[in-house]
Amino acid sequence: MIGAIAAWFSHLNDTTGINFTIFYDPFDASRFLQGFWLTLALSGVTILGSVAVGVIGAWGQGSPFMSLRAIVRVYVELFRNTPPLVQIYFFYFGLSALLPAGHNAFGMRQPLIGGFAWACVSLILFAGSFNVEIFRSGIEAIPVATTEAAESLGYTRLQTYRYIVLPLALRICLPALTNNLVNLVKTTTLAYAIAVPEMLYVSNQIWSESENVPEMMVVLFVIYIALVGVLVAAMHSWERALRVPGLGR
Amino acid sequence: MSRLMPVILHNRAPAPAITLRAWHGLALGGLVLLSGAAADAATGAAANTGVFMTLARWTPLLLEGFALNILISCLAMAIGTALGIALGLGLISLFAPLRHASWAVMQFFRNAPWLVLLFFMILLLPYHLHIGPLAFALPDWLKAVIGLALPVMANVAEILRGGVQAMPAGQWEAGASLGFTRAQQLWLIILPQAFRQMLPPWMNLYAILTTSTTLASIVGVNDVVTRAGQVLAAEGGRTDLLAPIYGYVLLMFFIYTYPVAWGTRRLEQRVRVRR
Amino acid sequence: MLKKLAALAIAASLGGIAHADELQAIKAKGVLVVGVKADYPPFGYLNPNGQIVGIEPSLAANVAQRLGVKLQLVPVVGANRLQFLEQGKIDLLIATMSDTPEREKVVDIVHPDYYASGYNLMVAKTVDVKSWSELKGVPVCAIQASFYNKEVEQKYGAELVAFTGVAEALTALRQGRCDAFLYDDTAIEGKLSDPQWADYDMPLQTQDAKPWGLAVKQGEPAFAAFMSDTIKDWDKTGYIQTLEQQYHVRPSAFAAQMHKQFAGS
Repeated sequence: MIGAIAAWFSHLNDTTGINFTIFYDPFDASRFLQGFWLTLALSGVTILGSVAVGVIGAWGQGSPFMSLRAIVRVYVELFRNTPPLVQIYFFYFGLSALLPAGHNAFGMRQPLIGGFAWACVSLILFAGSFNVEIFRSGIEAIPVATTEAAESLGYTRLQTYRYIVLPLALRICLPALTNNLVNLVKTTTLAYAIAVPEMLYVSNQIWSESENVPEMMVVLFVIYIALVGVLVAAMHSWERALRVPGLGR
Repeated sequence: MSRLMPVILHNRAPAPAITLRAWHGLALGGLVLLSGAAADAATGAAANTGVFMTLARWTPLLLEGFALNILISCLAMAIGTALGIALGLGLISLFAPLRHASWAVMQFFRNAPWLVLLFFMILLLPYHLHIGPLAFALPDWLKAVIGLALPVMANVAEILRGGVQAMPAGQWEAGASLGFTRAQQLWLIILPQAFRQMLPPWMNLYAILTTSTTLASIVGVNDVVTRAGQVLAAEGGRTDLLAPIYGYVLLMFFIYTYPVAWGTRRLEQRVRVRR
Repeated sequence: MLKKLAALAIAASLGGIAHADELQAIKAKGVLVVGVKADYPPFGYLNPNGQIVGIEPSLAANVAQRLGVKLQLVPVVGANRLQFLEQGKIDLLIATMSDTPEREKVVDIVHPDYYASGYNLMVAKTVDVKSWSELKGVPVCAIQASFYNKEVEQKYGAELVAFTGVAEALTALRQGRCDAFLYDDTAIEGKLSDPQWADYDMPLQTQDAKPWGLAVKQGEPAFAAFMSDTIKDWDKTGYIQTLEQQYHVRPSAFAAQMHKQFAGS
């Protein structure tokens, strides 16, 4: 059946000039698939990492220690107000040069942390800073009466955060969080700038060899929309499952 | 009593957020320049002119590119917000076909990567636009503006929907019981309150947009990142220049975007309604 | 009345689509818009005043001089140079573009070709590599959208790590993210003349020397013929070799051969 699909697309190219090489050329097909898996991996890792960073950071922002609050504040402002593309360059080129390195077979210096890892680190920190702000706005939207009630029941700050504030804040800020995670999945395309062979990087190679830019664009569009659609559907069903009567409409 | 005070006190209002002051930005700038000097010292600066001098020499060119980034971000935000409000109203409409159509449009532009949209606009839009006898040129950066305005539109629509949905049900009910029509409820009761809720994510979006204008460098717009690459090539690919020049670009964006973020927070605090 | 207005509108818009002969149009508007590289020394790069200079901008200036019009340079990159030409954003493309059949389908590449280069590897002198077949599984830095990337990957099994710009690729090379840099031999020579890269060399044979073509939009026979004559004149007078000397590029066999071929005519 795969052979039939390949033959059909090859025929399509010969007759109309609409060229979907990824369907009939085995080299292109295999590397495009690898690019797809890598995009999935990048998305998964960065989503989990950035939400974790957001939760921890939002807790840190309410800390009684000024140094902790300052650290979180500086981190958030730095990563929110600078371009992610330039951040990635900074990590991959600038920072990696300062870290200790190993040696390869030729005896030359070889960095220990690869492009994929740096892309993950950079994107987690980038999206995490936005998540901290999103959780903060969710926390502040909780009526003061609720936190005061928790305090009067003897909850410590951590317990209040974990059992009362965080669940409520999550429900309030879920639309904004979904928004940010969607942006994150799309931002994974930036990893191509440091030669991580994700989907856009592979598509770039393919369309500059075969001069079939529009076709590859369509494929990219469809796949990303589908990916994000799945994420949004999952977040919406989570939102529905979490719904508390009386909170919002 | 003194033992209870910490418990009572620290569960009170959230600890005051540290606000960054202008001197923090200058400190960051100082750090970048210091690292440039360190790079200088490390390489011995034998054959090459110092990193400082190089950055200073190329600054006017870089700033020109940066100005283009700012222009793109402002125009894209303006166009995107206008379109987004219209789309957002369609999203919360009670008229089902309109709601579904708006939802489809929003999903499409929200789910597409911004870079792919940019490529699409660069390829799809013609170089000249003809309206009757008039013909005007559509330069690349303008196509980038349109390309960026579309996802902004989708995000603004979603922000509007989210803001309206976060309003307590009681507000709608109170309005209905006082005899307001749906449109009146929306414009006189819900939206003014929801506006406060919507402002932070909207300013958030502007921050994302401004930093995303660097994507235009990938589609060939002559912005600050492209110029940084050209400067590096003109300097012979010096590796000691790479971190300082990107740090310099980061600094430019920080200096521009941080006051916007700070202004947002001030605005947010002033209009906050404590329930 | 409405029908008249509609007809007028259609005629006006159609008038915009149909265009006069490109050559005449350029002479009439008095400006020649040429797409060149701005990040590929010595063929096209920025000087501190922000002007694009190099071998190809010089060639473009020569063309403008022959047409008696002013010159406007537009920086292009591999990803957008063909689209710019197709859409009419530039009249002429001189941007280190190799003459391939896929590109011939999209734009009109003028013959004879004006230059040639193949691909080669820049490796550290300490790395001992004697033939291309030793590259299997070796990480090699490259520039995205180079047409020879696929060939090197498939034929020699190298693991390509492709970046958007030369500066990034060279930094990656220095930092050990790859063991060699795959690029045009002419560009590598330009790099090797820089004392910063004294510990690097180009030990292997240049592969697949492909001619470079400059291009005009499809369907412009008069302009294409004019450019063809211009190139022949450049070869005849040795103008290209003069530029090679001026920009410190190793004299290429291709330029010498073309000069010999056209010198007599």
